[in-house]
Amino acid sequence: MIKNFIISGSGGQGVLSIGSILANIFMLDDLFVTYCTCYGAEMRGGAVNCEINMSDKEINTLQNEKVDFVIALNQASFDKFISKVKENGTMIVNSSLAKIVKPRDDIKYIFIPFSEEATKLGDIRMTNSIALGVLSKILGNFKLENVKKGYEKVLSSKTELIQKNIDAYLLGHNLK
Amino acid sequence: MSEKVLLKGNIAIAKAALNCGCSCYFGYPITPQTEIGEYLSAKMQEKKLAYVCAESEVAAINMALGASSTGAKVMTSSSSCAVALMQEALSYAASDELPIVLVNVMRAGPGQGYIFPSQGDYNQATVGGGNGDYKTIVLSPSSVQECADMTYKVFYLAQKYRNPVILLVDGLLGQMAEPITIKDNPYPNIDNSSWILNGAKNRASRKIHSLEPNPSILEERTLKLHQKYLEIEKNEVDWEEYNCENADYIITAFGSMARIAKSVADYYKTKGLNFGVFRPKTLYPFPYDRLRELSKKTKIFFDVEMNLGQMHKDVCQAVSQNSQIFFIGKPAGEWLKQDEIIKAIDNIFEGQYATSI
Repeated sequence: MIKNFIISGSGGQGVLSIGSILANIFMLDDLFVTYCTCYGAEMRGGAVNCEINMSDKEINTLQNEKVDFVIALNQASFDKFISKVKENGTMIVNSSLAKIVKPRDDIKYIFIPFSEEATKLGDIRMTNSIALGVLSKILGNFKLENVKKGYEKVLSSKTELIQKNIDAYLLGHNLK
Repeated sequence: MSEKVLLKGNIAIAKAALNCGCSCYFGYPITPQTEIGEYLSAKMQEKKLAYVCAESEVAAINMALGASSTGAKVMTSSSSCAVALMQEALSYAASDELPIVLVNVMRAGPGQGYIFPSQGDYNQATVGGGNGDYKTIVLSPSSVQECADMTYKVFYLAQKYRNPVILLVDGLLGQMAEPITIKDNPYPNIDNSSWILNGAKNRASRKIHSLEPNPSILEERTLKLHQKYLEIEKNEVDWEEYNCENADYIITAFGSMARIAKSVADYYKTKGLNFGVFRPKTLYPFPYDRLRELSKKTKIFFDVEMNLGQMHKDVCQAVSQNSQIFFIGKPAGEWLKQDEIIKAIDNIFEGQYATSI
């Protein structure tokens, strides 16, 4: 069973960090994963997205016309990827930075003000981890041990931020 | 050692190169392979190995030739339009019998083109743009795991045959991350003490040069090279088959395109059609014999490439005249997707044949 994901936002929002953490969590769960990143010439503020495929079998459909899940951390990402969600797929939106509108009626929407939740936690940089927590709740099968290992691998040069991010992840997980 | 890690193809290549003893890297940055040099620039300094960011690609590969003549395991990496600049040196390396590893992570051409995905360098790699009767061994990985495994193999083949070897990588694979296991280098070290230039103390002097004004010696030398290529063609042909035995239809593809071809074969299986996928792992030497054998049973072939039909001519040469071969491809831009290939094949089934989509 193959599932695919797009995570999108602007440079500095931690799109590639949670993309890489998600891919690592799947890997640690002994699943097949492919992880592709895409970013513009500019870093902070520019459009950034990544695409992840996950399956219990070898992955051969490397590029997808449409995906099961999109996480959009801002309005531009919502606008760009709304058409990429499969029928009955899910659009997870940071409603702090995107309007609550539902232009398609054949997909599911989850609007949560991730940036505000992160600010309440005391660090707006945790926006991405709260979103990852929400996704984990929907997928429903991450081992916390693998989540911790995933964060440790990706944030190995920022160890002081690991626990904070895991707390944010858990907050997202328990939001819905 | 056996722990899985999530790595980009470019990093997997760089790590494997270090693992199998690459002691000199010369390169000039170009997307989509820059991470190879970036990774090595830090690691080689740590290990006190030679890393040179050269002033141009021409300089980089000629530095590789020089270092190789002293017995060092050398590598350079680049991309399409810049690999074009290196063709003269490849001919010299073949003539001088120097083991050179060249990694080409492809982008779109012709000319400078752009960083879009493409498999447009099949001809450049397998036919070559240098002068004279020379050949370059070419390996083509289809996964990040193979990027690492084949890096070991290209170093081994370069040493074994004293010949330039190209690792031809899709830009998609260079940039995509997958979980892989970095294994130990499975290949033996090759003794090079009989030919390297390491100082003539206590032995007769040696020369490595390609200039040869004596016609009979030049003829003899070129024939000797030719014998070596025949040996390579006999020993080193490698390929992968996916449900090819008794297939009614076979898709031929190389690199990561072969994986998308597998997903197409899986789709047709659910429709009750018997599709196989044939993937050359060595582009030179090309697996003509095995493909010819398969074409005794299979009568319809679809050749799928991210170019306008470069491997196609090798498939045509291999497949028997009683079989039909249809080409599906596009030169650049977004990678061909499963549903686009299915649509093209369905169109062919309905009698609407176009050479590219």
